Amino acid sequence: MFLPGLQDDLRVDGRGCEDYRHMEIETDVVSNTDGSAKVTLGHTAVLVGVKAEIGKPRPTVPAEGYLEFFVDCSANATPEFEGRGGEELGTKLSNTLYKVFNNKRSIDLKSLCICAGEHCWVLYVDVLLLQCDGNLYDAISVAIKAALFNTKIPKVHISSDEEGGKEIELSDDPYDCMRLNIENVPCIVTLCKVGHRHVVDATLQEKACSVASLIISVTHKGTITCMRKVGGGSLDPESIFEMTEAGKRVGKALHAPLMKLLEQEESLGKKRQKVGFLG
Amino acid sequence: MLKSKTFVKKTRSGGVMKVVREHYLRDDIWCGSEVCTECKQESTVLQKDACMESSLCSYPHYLVPDTNVVLHQIDILEDPVICNVIILQTVLQEVRHRSAPVYKRLKDIIHEKEKRFYTFTNEHHRDTFIEREPGESANDRNDRAIRVAVKWYSQHLKTFESDTDGLKVVLLTNDQGNKQKAQDNGLLVYKCEEYVKSLIANPELVDRLALSSDDKNEITSSKVLFPEHLPLSRIQTGIKSSSFLQGTFRASRDNYLEATVFVQGEGEDGTEVLIQGLQNLNRAVHQDVVAVQLLPRSEWVAPSSVVLQDEGTAKDDEDAEEEEGKLRTAAAEAARKPTGKVVGIIKRNWRPFCGMLNVSQIKESTRHLFTPADRRIPRIRIETRQASTLSGQRIMVAIDGWPKDSRYPNGHFVRSLGGAGEKDTEEEVLLLEHDVPHQAFSQAVLSFLPKMPWAITPEDMMKREDLRPLTVCSVDPPGCTDIDDALHCRELENGNLEVGVHIADVSHFIRPGNALDKEAANRGTTVYLCGKRIDMVPELLSSNLCSLRSNVDRLAFSCIWEINHKAEILKTRFTKSVINSKASLTYAEAQMRIDDTNKNDDITKNLRGLNKLAKILKRQRIEKGALTLSSLEVRFHMDSETHDPIDLQTKELMETNSMVEEFMLLANISVAQKIYDEFSECALLRKHPAPPPSNYDILIKAAKSKEVEIHTDSAKALADSLDAAKVDGFPYFNTLLRILATRCMMQAVYFCSGMDSDFHHYGLASPIYTHFTSPIRRYADIIVHRLLAVAIGADTTYPDLMDKHKQSALCNNLNYRHKMSQYAQRASVAFHTQLFFKSRGILNEEGFVLFVRKNAIIVLIPKFGLEGTVFFDSKDKVSPNIVFEEEIPGVSVPPPDTERPAKKQKLDR
Repeated sequence: MFLPGLQDDLRVDGRGCEDYRHMEIETDVVSNTDGSAKVTLGHTAVLVGVKAEIGKPRPTVPAEGYLEFFVDCSANATPEFEGRGGEELGTKLSNTLYKVFNNKRSIDLKSLCICAGEHCWVLYVDVLLLQCDGNLYDAISVAIKAALFNTKIPKVHISSDEEGGKEIELSDDPYDCMRLNIENVPCIVTLCKVGHRHVVDATLQEKACSVASLIISVTHKGTITCMRKVGGGSLDPESIFEMTEAGKRVGKALHAPLMKLLEQEESLGKKRQKVGFLG
Repeated sequence: MLKSKTFVKKTRSGGVMKVVREHYLRDDIWCGSEVCTECKQESTVLQKDACMESSLCSYPHYLVPDTNVVLHQIDILEDPVICNVIILQTVLQEVRHRSAPVYKRLKDIIHEKEKRFYTFTNEHHRDTFIEREPGESANDRNDRAIRVAVKWYSQHLKTFESDTDGLKVVLLTNDQGNKQKAQDNGLLVYKCEEYVKSLIANPELVDRLALSSDDKNEITSSKVLFPEHLPLSRIQTGIKSSSFLQGTFRASRDNYLEATVFVQGEGEDGTEVLIQGLQNLNRAVHQDVVAVQLLPRSEWVAPSSVVLQDEGTAKDDEDAEEEEGKLRTAAAEAARKPTGKVVGIIKRNWRPFCGMLNVSQIKESTRHLFTPADRRIPRIRIETRQASTLSGQRIMVAIDGWPKDSRYPNGHFVRSLGGAGEKDTEEEVLLLEHDVPHQAFSQAVLSFLPKMPWAITPEDMMKREDLRPLTVCSVDPPGCTDIDDALHCRELENGNLEVGVHIADVSHFIRPGNALDKEAANRGTTVYLCGKRIDMVPELLSSNLCSLRSNVDRLAFSCIWEINHKAEILKTRFTKSVINSKASLTYAEAQMRIDDTNKNDDITKNLRGLNKLAKILKRQRIEKGALTLSSLEVRFHMDSETHDPIDLQTKELMETNSMVEEFMLLANISVAQKIYDEFSECALLRKHPAPPPSNYDILIKAAKSKEVEIHTDSAKALADSLDAAKVDGFPYFNTLLRILATRCMMQAVYFCSGMDSDFHHYGLASPIYTHFTSPIRRYADIIVHRLLAVAIGADTTYPDLMDKHKQSALCNNLNYRHKMSQYAQRASVAFHTQLFFKSRGILNEEGFVLFVRKNAIIVLIPKFGLEGTVFFDSKDKVSPNIVFEEEIPGVSVPPPDTERPAKKQKLDR
């Protein structure tokens, strides 16, 4: 029943094939994290919190920090997640997030290093799915980008004495903190093949009709950093090409308003009226 | 309204944690002022006509001190003149954070109704809460919070201006920047000194002002006398890398230019670092926690054997250098000890010190030196205009600071205790100096006492064994009103003996956690001074309800053994009981009954049985290697009217003394075993560590001087060789050696069994020991009673009893109080001895030399139990030609005429 409309670039809810649903973003929603953001996309809602902790750098890359991802599929999101139902999806999602975000092209991991080989910042990115209504990847990626933007890492400096003993010292001013450069952090665009067309931001219904979908992570310059196919059906090379082109276009268009919005919110500072979870 | 406070802190593992606290703001925090009609407060603290007559503020006003004013000028705030003060929560929190003692004093002032101190919770008030701004330090934020609160107050009070005569709020701060900002905000602000000086009615209050830093500069020349202290961060890194050592500074009693720093090592053992010379001591004061740096081995020195007292007047820098010269002796390599210098102070442990004022020779001078009663504390320079009134009085002085260009620390006068030499004053001094809590019990504490008339209830009887029919009696020193132990002994049908030790059941009256319990735990022990007793528990308990007096029913905790005639214990049991003592005897009375063959009543038979067993027990104990040591104890005969000592005698020991003692030891050991079996982790025990061999040096040397050998390999060897050490024609020699041996010993201490592995009691040669028998006068016994009661199911437990860390902390306090009470007791005896001599002329008495120093000898006069230093080169006498022999400090009889000056000297101080 969708198919005829799709041919004319018209979807059941009135959107075009490359249109997102209404998206709401709010940052700094969880006070005891170092950075957080809540994103709702249609009825999909995700919450991302970033906690910075001091850890030991990986031996292979001693001068870099790293990110850790954990996706919690709360049973609030959908009854399917009850018990251990969400575990599999959670692992699948976090594996993809590692691929997309934990590399030095996305984030300047070197800036997370405190003392090469000894101390670095580890960013624990915790994703909580509050409600599922399709297109989790896109919503999560936007939320992560916003949360990383919001992340304030306390400034530390290493003092060393004559004997070479090193000591981490913490600034006593809570406002004295480091911000991350998130310019190159990509966003994920999921394209679902429905019939002969492909759509972005598929609702659950649309997804049910889709044979396969392509997950593409795109930077603000339109560079594709990662791509993955999910779903049981097959895609022919031509449509893959078409879909990547569309993904680039949509992804690039997604970054600019996102950044603008985030900066606008930041500039409000303490005067901003918080919406939170009850708003 | 909800706000959240966020801050980051470092965790112990080196991580960084963000902490978020919810902070609620309220609109129902009232201002506490009488004039206010807006606030719906039930009672007001601040008066309408807040009158402190000041030439600066002619209108009624409330004072708001900032944190530093409270911290440094708490003595001023305590003065009754200062009232109607608003203490902001910001200030209170900062004070609490920075100094616990000042916080406690401030809390006490706030509780005092007449002082009219009001705490305003500005941090939770909707209009006065402020958030820290970017780039603002925590201190700046607090200063701003104080200013905002003052601003709020002045605006708040302005609305009622019509009813008041221009009531205002005055901020007191010593910080120039803060003052400036406050003035810019249109607030009334003064420096604390300005304000205090402006008080019309009380010029003497100025003396109590602590000297602030800009005052100090003018006092001394610019000559820098001491090296700079290192900042704390440098010290910490230094300690971590072990280039510095952290330890407690202990000044020497005999030599003001020498001190040791006790460095706590791994586990039990600690090391001592010797510090010599003013420069190296570097302004450390007794009991400070300091960082020391070891000197190179070539500069190590031996502890000097000179007795030096700081006698100089205000300007004696040259003298000091000269005296320092005396210290340097070409000591043998072996005698040298690790020597170091103080590089920084980690924590000052200053308290107000008692002492006397040395009035400056210059008449108009307002700066005078103060000599503390404790010889280990340096002299303190204070500023006062009442020098003439204060001379001859005992006064208290607090140290404010010790700048690096000043020979003496600067301080200020706190209060006067009364005329020197007066009994009450001196008693107060020695209680304060030894940190003995001696205030009357507070109402809160007294409220937990049982209501009088008190009687044993049927419920009590149900739970207890009725031992009233037994012939129980108590034996104590004459005049004892806090009887905490009683004994009985009877023959059983099977021929064995049943012996019971009955201890006052204090834990029945003092329930865990209430104010009475806390007070007792803090006091730790009853302190016995000559003619005065500072009770640990209120008198109703100590002398009445808990005291096992004769012919009244009393609650007891009994330890009952079945013993055969060879004094072997066959059975032990513990029970809560009710007893009725048939007689309370003195040692002498008991002795008389035992010796009087005509007496054959129950009590006497009882006593004889006990005495017989005690003798066997004592023999067994000595065979195991228990030590019999000796120390001189003096008893005074007091004049019943004036309470002045009229005669004194050394204590006599009778057989009955040791009879009671034997059974107390037995009970203590039995209880120790029982509570340890039951609670291996949290039993409160008492141990007496074996002293390190080097402690015995003075004893061995002293014995050698009379060609007597002392073996110190084990307690048994020591006991045997002490028994054998006798010199013909010198009967007192053995006692002297025993006195010296006592000084070689370590302190016995309380500890929690879960925190330690060495339980041995060296002096008693017992593998385990505790204190059970004197709960009226020792808090440790109360805890042991509670543990035992839980062990036999007679009482319920509570969390703190089973917490080994809390118990360990309690033990530390008990050990400290116990030590201090002993010192106080000795000081009291010494004072009474001096009072005794005040009324006598010159006496000739036999004395013995205990130690020989390079320029003095330390003499003991057994008849008076008096020990004193005799200098060879007193000011008015030419020093006799003496050759000092380091190796063999002899024991000899000094010419009698040197005695008097020694005593005189002590009297004068």
